[in-house]
Amino acid sequence: MSRLRSSHFLRLVLLVLIVTAGLSAVRAEEVGDRWGTEEREREFYPIVNIPLPPDTVIEAGAFAVLPDQRVAVGTRHGEIYLIDGIDGAKPNPSFHLFATGLDEIFGLTWKDNAFRVTQSCEVTRVIDTDKDGVADRFETISDAWGYANYHEYAFGSKLDAEGNQYVALGLSESYYSHALNRGFIMKISPEGKSTAFASGLRSPGGIGFDEHGSLFYVESQGPWNCSCSLKAVLPNSFHGHPASFEWYKFASELGPVPETPKSGTRIVTERKHVKQLVPYAVIFPYVRMGRSITAFTVNMTRGKFGPFENQMFLGDYTLSILMRSTTEQVNGVWQGACYPFREGLSTGIVNVEFTPEGKLLCGGTNRGWPVRGIKPFALERVDWSGKMPFEINRITIEPDGFKLTFTKPADLATGNSPDSYLVSAFTHPYHGGYGGPEVDRFKSDVKKVSLAKDGLSANIVLDKLTQGFVYEFDLVSLRSRDGDELLHRNAYYTVNEIPPP
Amino acid sequence: MRKSIHFPMAEAMTKHGSMAHRTGRIVCRMMLYFLIVGTSLAADGDSALPGNHPLTLSQAGDLLIVELRCAACHSGIERGTLSEKLAPDLSQAGARISPEYLKQFIAAPSSAHPGTKMPDMFPGTPEDETQSIAEALTHFLVAQSNQEFQSEIPPDDSMHLGKTLYHSVGCVACHGPREAIGESPLVNRADAEVEDEDKKGDEKKVIKPTAVSLEHLSTKYGLKSLSEFLFQPLRVRPSGRMPDMKLTPSESLAVACYLIGNHPKRQTALQPQDSMVSLGKKYFQELNCAACHSLNNIPAAPLGSSLRNADLSRGCLSKAVGKSPKFLLHEDQIRAIKASLTSEPKVETDTVVLAKTLTAFNCIGCHIRDDFGGVPEQYNPYFATSEQKLGDDGRIPPPLTLVGAKLQSTWMKKVLFDGESVRHYMTTRMPQFGTANLSHLPKVFAQLDVLTPPDWTIPSPESDSESVRQREKLLRPAGRELLGDKGLNCIACHNFNGKPAPVNKGIDLMTTFQRIQPGWFNSFVRNPGSYRPRIVMPTAWPNGVAAHKTILDGNTDLQIQAIWYYLSLGTSAADPPGIRNISTRLTVGNTARTFRGRSRVAGFRGIAIGLPEKWNYAFNAETGTLSAIWRGDFISVNWNGQGSGDFNPASEPILLAQDVSFTTLADEDSPWPLMPVMTKDARVNPNPLYPKNLGYQFRGYSFGQSSIPTLMYQCGTLEIEDRSEAIEQRGLKRVIQFDSPTPQTIWFRGLTGDIRNLTEYVFQAGRLQVTVPKVQTKIRGFSDEPKRSELLLRLELPQGKSNLELIYEPLEK
Repeated sequence: MSRLRSSHFLRLVLLVLIVTAGLSAVRAEEVGDRWGTEEREREFYPIVNIPLPPDTVIEAGAFAVLPDQRVAVGTRHGEIYLIDGIDGAKPNPSFHLFATGLDEIFGLTWKDNAFRVTQSCEVTRVIDTDKDGVADRFETISDAWGYANYHEYAFGSKLDAEGNQYVALGLSESYYSHALNRGFIMKISPEGKSTAFASGLRSPGGIGFDEHGSLFYVESQGPWNCSCSLKAVLPNSFHGHPASFEWYKFASELGPVPETPKSGTRIVTERKHVKQLVPYAVIFPYVRMGRSITAFTVNMTRGKFGPFENQMFLGDYTLSILMRSTTEQVNGVWQGACYPFREGLSTGIVNVEFTPEGKLLCGGTNRGWPVRGIKPFALERVDWSGKMPFEINRITIEPDGFKLTFTKPADLATGNSPDSYLVSAFTHPYHGGYGGPEVDRFKSDVKKVSLAKDGLSANIVLDKLTQGFVYEFDLVSLRSRDGDELLHRNAYYTVNEIPPP
Repeated sequence: MRKSIHFPMAEAMTKHGSMAHRTGRIVCRMMLYFLIVGTSLAADGDSALPGNHPLTLSQAGDLLIVELRCAACHSGIERGTLSEKLAPDLSQAGARISPEYLKQFIAAPSSAHPGTKMPDMFPGTPEDETQSIAEALTHFLVAQSNQEFQSEIPPDDSMHLGKTLYHSVGCVACHGPREAIGESPLVNRADAEVEDEDKKGDEKKVIKPTAVSLEHLSTKYGLKSLSEFLFQPLRVRPSGRMPDMKLTPSESLAVACYLIGNHPKRQTALQPQDSMVSLGKKYFQELNCAACHSLNNIPAAPLGSSLRNADLSRGCLSKAVGKSPKFLLHEDQIRAIKASLTSEPKVETDTVVLAKTLTAFNCIGCHIRDDFGGVPEQYNPYFATSEQKLGDDGRIPPPLTLVGAKLQSTWMKKVLFDGESVRHYMTTRMPQFGTANLSHLPKVFAQLDVLTPPDWTIPSPESDSESVRQREKLLRPAGRELLGDKGLNCIACHNFNGKPAPVNKGIDLMTTFQRIQPGWFNSFVRNPGSYRPRIVMPTAWPNGVAAHKTILDGNTDLQIQAIWYYLSLGTSAADPPGIRNISTRLTVGNTARTFRGRSRVAGFRGIAIGLPEKWNYAFNAETGTLSAIWRGDFISVNWNGQGSGDFNPASEPILLAQDVSFTTLADEDSPWPLMPVMTKDARVNPNPLYPKNLGYQFRGYSFGQSSIPTLMYQCGTLEIEDRSEAIEQRGLKRVIQFDSPTPQTIWFRGLTGDIRNLTEYVFQAGRLQVTVPKVQTKIRGFSDEPKRSELLLRLELPQGKSNLELIYEPLEK
């Protein structure tokens, strides 16, 4: 019990630190504490270094798996390499340089025997017309946005079922919108027609689809975003940062300009009158769950990657970590949970992708911004060892609480005890300041727990559920039937909506 | 008959030296081949085991029992921490091993492979019966493999690489050198194996090297199977005694070529006969091969008699011929095993577990720990470096003394299990022994090695304590200054986040905080020489007194803390002074080169094109304009910091206007549509649709069969292809091809600046001369810039295709 108290105390201290950080005038650049789970994680999810060709800089920005099972990597240096043999037990892949001279690649997909490359300046079809293994034709598909500051990055999705692609456009210098459509998500039709699709972005990372084909993008902490988050993108949706309102006059397809949100409020109240405002689907509490989330991919490996099928895996640049996320739609609004997964990668993670053999390929660089990983660039692969970790698999919301599923049966004693489920909640201000504190924190009493007979799930009933709060779970004393403690004891669920009974 | 098995080995060894007269001794020494660590003078530890190990007689016996795997057949053996040495996986033995060798080896293991741990299974069995059992077993084993054994002649061209690798990556540490390399003398292996008889008078501790024989490889393996084994040895031998040397497939192939040599014996595959296969299976079961070799779920026999209090004068260890398998052991080894089995069972202390582990895996062949281990003098020349000035620390693997207090546990696991390495200059590679085999090691090191951590707290700039924030403000810049070239200049000999150091390219400082424990750091930097007597790293605080007096007032403790704090910040902190961000220079070879990126000479959607003739030009794809021309080297690109690949011409360019080049004008006096201008006060683009609102759209570029791109864009309904190539030393010839659905008039702005007519169709502005075709031209001035004018070409384009050809000739300054 004293252990619990001390951990609670540490959390309070941490909270105070975070609050102070938010208010501090000079922003610090530390990368933050570790989860401390790296040495245990490696038993279940070892990290395998992918050897790179000598004297070659490969700062991965985007990945694509080709029909012939090769993996393509697009780099910040504007090159596309085709990698053969990335899945070897002791990998020794070959790297074939397919294209060079592009401008910072943050989107790569393969369609009709050609790459669709999202580079800062445009979306380009890159073709090898004479089939000699080297690209020889670069066709501009869309450049329907202004580009006038180096920080105006462009992130491209894969294609949806109809062949549309979505491009998330970061703000100028990450604060303003000086150039056309900065802060928009553009939709590019199969014919190359570009239309504005959503607004209110700040500094997006990856954009893509969940297991159901719904569109999400990753947003970074900053103005109007107290934490990094995963956001659900709907047609004409507004994602919180008003800088891009400038360009509605050129984008009638987006409809009327949203009402300007009021700074210093809560998103749960603002969304009532800013009708296009879509609340963050999953909030990643700052530092504890990343400082600069960059991209995600969905595990559809049919069990090859272990127990987390149909879940999103996200990389973080600053902390060189990987996290998981699950989403669900409640009353028509997306929300869900995030969970720690793996720390100790060697560089800042810019993108992630599952390989043909169902391993998680991660890559990036550590230059430019603070990064915990010590390598200037690296490609690494996270494998599932085949051993089953004891983890919270997924949290979903119930009218009176939550349902938690586990990867291994929880034991009866701890699994049925409300003391094993420490739940608290907090929210963030919704404001134009950079980042912000976790506020209005309260402890939520667990009134009742029902552990399923198989021990693989538990329903917990709380004294109350409050919209607009992040529910933080600490299951430190839960044990599996074989006596394991959880590999990661925490998870965080963002409650935008509460399902009707 | 049995004794004759030793002689082929003795003959083989005579090839390496005239050792025939010492045959008796060689036979005796050869028995020590049974041990993976080969043979040596046991300096302090018991002579039952080779290597400069610290084990006592009974501990050596414990280890022998593990290595020989006595517990596979016998009960009464307590399992220690150290994993047993498992027998090779035989599931693909038929594909891996020559059938002929297999048969010889089964019949008489030590004769086929001197030093093997496989016992003789047929002592006392008549020779012809032994041979027929071995043949049946060979058929059985070959039938288990789904591939046939292949024998190939190694290509000559890989031999040299194989030889170099063998003698540099660390094979020598266990197998000894095979020939002289460069200045490294050939150590006569046989000599090396003879005990030093003059030890008494020798004060210096002489470490006799290990040399596990590889003579059998050329008859045992095919090139492919040896190469595959060397690439991933733990797949077949999971116990890690033969570690993964981090060879790539091509390196493995080269080493295999070298080891098999130029004239391998031609081996043929064997077609297993059903009757022999079933007979072989019967023998496999009867001989209880499954006790050591798991194969197709064939069960092992129940464990035999307990070795506790057993009569060791009988059975496997006895010299008498009986039914037991026969291990050819040295007297000392038998003595050790007996000591182990008769001593009271003891709790294994961490010290003992560590000593056994470092001995079993021959870590002591490369590393010193306390007073044991270390590279033998004879092998020392085979440990090389690319950074000679780093001295021995640049080439000899680091000591393991206090390593548990030195390395962070997470990092030690990365080194042991993930192949991480920071000593890029060291040619010897840290082998990978397999996670399962050494999983206990980091914890054992950590428990044994303790250095009191300094009383440091990492200050946080976000702290709510004013004094902590003040301390942070003090330490951060001080640490940066100390590391930099105006301070202690650590960066002169240490790389920094991948940027090479100017003098010695020592360990990257960015790795320090994640690798090293603060206690070690604090102690080590104060006096590196006390940890490594011959280290080139100086102390900045001789006798605890700071050499640098101005930073932090010369306070030694604070200076060391400041460096530690600064290193803890990783890439969060600014680089130390003296670290230079160098732009990447892109050069052009025999073919043209195209690069996209933002540039002051081509806008944010810029394209730079470099031609082999050393003419370069830039195109602003946002406006469809040739925007710069320069002669000489191509470009430098900024990939430093957040730099996303902006480029600069490598020599001074001639700059052209970057506004749109083609447009329709209402009349010839209409002003040319200029790019919108943003200022510091008005930063939002006032005309964000420019020049798309003029009908311009970039379409990309294509190479066809050339390395020079054809740029594609459109202006309204007009499709344009634009390509420039060099006219030798003169300049560029630009051909613009139009494809128009209807006849139309379009204006082209050919030049801006202080324009002079040289002839009717040759114009000059500044350092550039442009020749235009015979079309209507117009030079008109700007009202606000009297010295500046623009050259417009009025183009009457027909339906279909037409051309415009321009010559650009830069003039000498």
